Amino acid sequence: MTRPKTAPQRGAPWRTKAGSLLGAALLIVAACAPTGVGPATAPASVAPQSSSGSAPSEAAKPASLNMLYAAGEADVDAIKLAIPDFEAATGIKINLDSQPYTALQQKVFAELAAKSSFYDIIVIDTPWMPALTKQIEPLSGYIGDPAVSDAKQLAIDDFIPKVFYDTAVYNRDQSQLEYSGSPDKVDVAAIKSAGFEIYGLPIQANALTLTYRKDLFESPAEQAAFKAKYGRDLAVPTTWDEFTDVASFFTRPSDRLYGTTLMAGTGDWATDDFKTLLAGFGGNGKMVDGEFKRVFNSPEGIAALTYYSDLINKHKVTPPGVTSFSWDEAGSTYASGLTAMSMNYHNAKLNEGLAGATAYATIPAGVGVGPHFGTWMLSVNSFSANKPWAYRAIEWFTSSAVQTKMLATQLHPSRRSVYEAAKTDPAVASFGNYYDILGKSLAVGVGRPRLTNYGEVDQIIWTAVNNVATGAATPADALRDADAKVLEALKKVPYPAN
Amino acid sequence: MPDVARLIGPQDRRARSHPAVLLLAPAVAVLLLMTVAPAIYLLWSSLFRFNLLASEAGVFVGLGNYVDILGSTDFVRHFGITLLFVVTSVSLELAIGLVVAVLLARKGPDLRIAAGLLILPMAITPVVAALVWRALLNPNYGWIDYYLQTLGLIEEPVAWLSAPVTAWIALLALDAWQWMPFVALILLAGLQGLPTEPLEAAAVDGAGRLSMFRFITLPMMRPFIVIAVLLRTVDAFKTFGTVQVLTNGGPGDATEIVNLSIYRVALQNFQVGTAAAMGILFLVVVTIVIQQLLRVMARNTDVLED
Repeated sequence: MTRPKTAPQRGAPWRTKAGSLLGAALLIVAACAPTGVGPATAPASVAPQSSSGSAPSEAAKPASLNMLYAAGEADVDAIKLAIPDFEAATGIKINLDSQPYTALQQKVFAELAAKSSFYDIIVIDTPWMPALTKQIEPLSGYIGDPAVSDAKQLAIDDFIPKVFYDTAVYNRDQSQLEYSGSPDKVDVAAIKSAGFEIYGLPIQANALTLTYRKDLFESPAEQAAFKAKYGRDLAVPTTWDEFTDVASFFTRPSDRLYGTTLMAGTGDWATDDFKTLLAGFGGNGKMVDGEFKRVFNSPEGIAALTYYSDLINKHKVTPPGVTSFSWDEAGSTYASGLTAMSMNYHNAKLNEGLAGATAYATIPAGVGVGPHFGTWMLSVNSFSANKPWAYRAIEWFTSSAVQTKMLATQLHPSRRSVYEAAKTDPAVASFGNYYDILGKSLAVGVGRPRLTNYGEVDQIIWTAVNNVATGAATPADALRDADAKVLEALKKVPYPAN
Repeated sequence: MPDVARLIGPQDRRARSHPAVLLLAPAVAVLLLMTVAPAIYLLWSSLFRFNLLASEAGVFVGLGNYVDILGSTDFVRHFGITLLFVVTSVSLELAIGLVVAVLLARKGPDLRIAAGLLILPMAITPVVAALVWRALLNPNYGWIDYYLQTLGLIEEPVAWLSAPVTAWIALLALDAWQWMPFVALILLAGLQGLPTEPLEAAAVDGAGRLSMFRFITLPMMRPFIVIAVLLRTVDAFKTFGTVQVLTNGGPGDATEIVNLSIYRVALQNFQVGTAAAMGILFLVVVTIVIQQLLRVMARNTDVLED
């Protein structure tokens, strides 16, 4: 119980220092992590590939390539399914490292900031790309080189042009610019001459689709009851007004059934719900346009957010807790049979033991339409020592034949031919009409604004959306507040916003 | 002879101090390398505006980052939220921990098992605990609402994470569930080590149980209470994973603690200069709080020496 009398007495300086050091250590971990994270490989001395071509085919064939990929967000099982074929065809082993979203994003940025050559192939999500144009290898030089690229396998015309341009085509020094030269066809020469580059090949195209309980919509009893109440036939909603009616009709809390899920919790998903509705109500779903004008704080934005809030708070067609749902919880809520409809980035399956069937439709339209979409692409790390081989690998993984094979374990393809194949492919019969609807949704989808600080803008918007959804703020106040904050964030980059 | 002794004395002392310096050197080196150097780098970084991925060097902005942060109402509010979280969670854990410790201090085999079970929540990774709690709190198929409804305590399911007050209750309950046992164990150790004589003397003098606890046990427990509060406060300031998983700062930004803000700025937006300045400001506040607690501890642990 007693301490030796020689021990430091009250106010001893070592104690306060210990306190400071403790605090310092704690914060350094919090604030300094990115500089020290990642494999401690030395920066590669290989210079970024020049488009004039330095005979990349001469590079020695590596024994293996390291690939950094996403987890469920980009259907990693599909990649796993294809890897053995690639290894058999080329003799190159693929070391796959897949990580869930937030960990992956940190890893990708830390690797590239440290100029690490460890990963040869890196998966890139659309919102990250504006900040990475100087770290990701431009591909036009490889694409034009018959020694590295197999034009038939690449079949660049086969990529859905909109998906390709939104995902992979950037201007190196002004990453906010969008290429709009040849909207109907991927034209490498036109892209180059307009001052743009290709930074990857799209592999997984996610878009919001409407999931619904086919069994409920086709039930004669439900159809009769709906007709009696609304004077028209029960059908999958094609407009937002119909969506409200149908969702209200199916909302029966005492039977544990609600109209629809939403992704109104704090996170990127709430922004995606909002931008989808913004486009639907006639606004620009990009939220921030090419001149850095905030276009969400508008009558259309207020109407969209009011509609969103009304679904939750006025019509009460959503299950309890919807304002804390992520895309994952929205999915599991639909899967447990709690809702008649759902909007999500992925297909859905009812839990085992639940009777019922699922089908898909495009997101309803209003004055306009523009379901959110965002695509993952496979890119080559510009610091890799095996760039030509990494390019060959991504060309192979994104090819039509391989994407078609990957459908069996689910992949959201980026090529037109794969959507065609999906129509008759028995391996994808279990997905119902999902691929058909996904292809149609991509055709009208609206991507994200190209901002190096999109993460910050995203958080400002989802906070506003969540505040309205929980009833803590009115749509007009929340959007006005978000508008001021987004402006401040854009100016800090600095972007010429005003 | 005394003169000689005085002559060789200092040399002798110097000679004796050499091994001490040598023995301390590794620890000092590690501290310098792992703590002091990064802290200085952090301070240096906080004076620049730079993006981790930009090839050009950062722009020197002096105290610009600090001015921006302190001028941001959001940051100041998130700071307030953090302090509120620390004060509430530590108070709650201390209050419940004290009751639990007193109950467990009565000896018996059943209580030993209870004490063992008490440690379990501490052994769970915070992120896993938060994931489990998120599922338990789900208003549609979570256990908590189910049993509250079964017991007739609520009529409709409560969407815990959808309103600020209930989200805070959930967050504090999770933190208390996980860390109250830590406080209880420290206090239990203290209680079991208390001398029994003062209590016996008080009993002879006719003191009641409550006044014995209030005037004898509690004052004697002061050093242990201060240690528990100190350790928990340091830990509570570090809270991150549970909040990120359970509420992600929501609803709105009602539970956005500073650690979450620093994480977003540093590791999602990669504005390292701003994040460093936020870290430094946070460090200043934490240091002041911890120093005050250490001063209180120094005053109170004197009891042990008497």
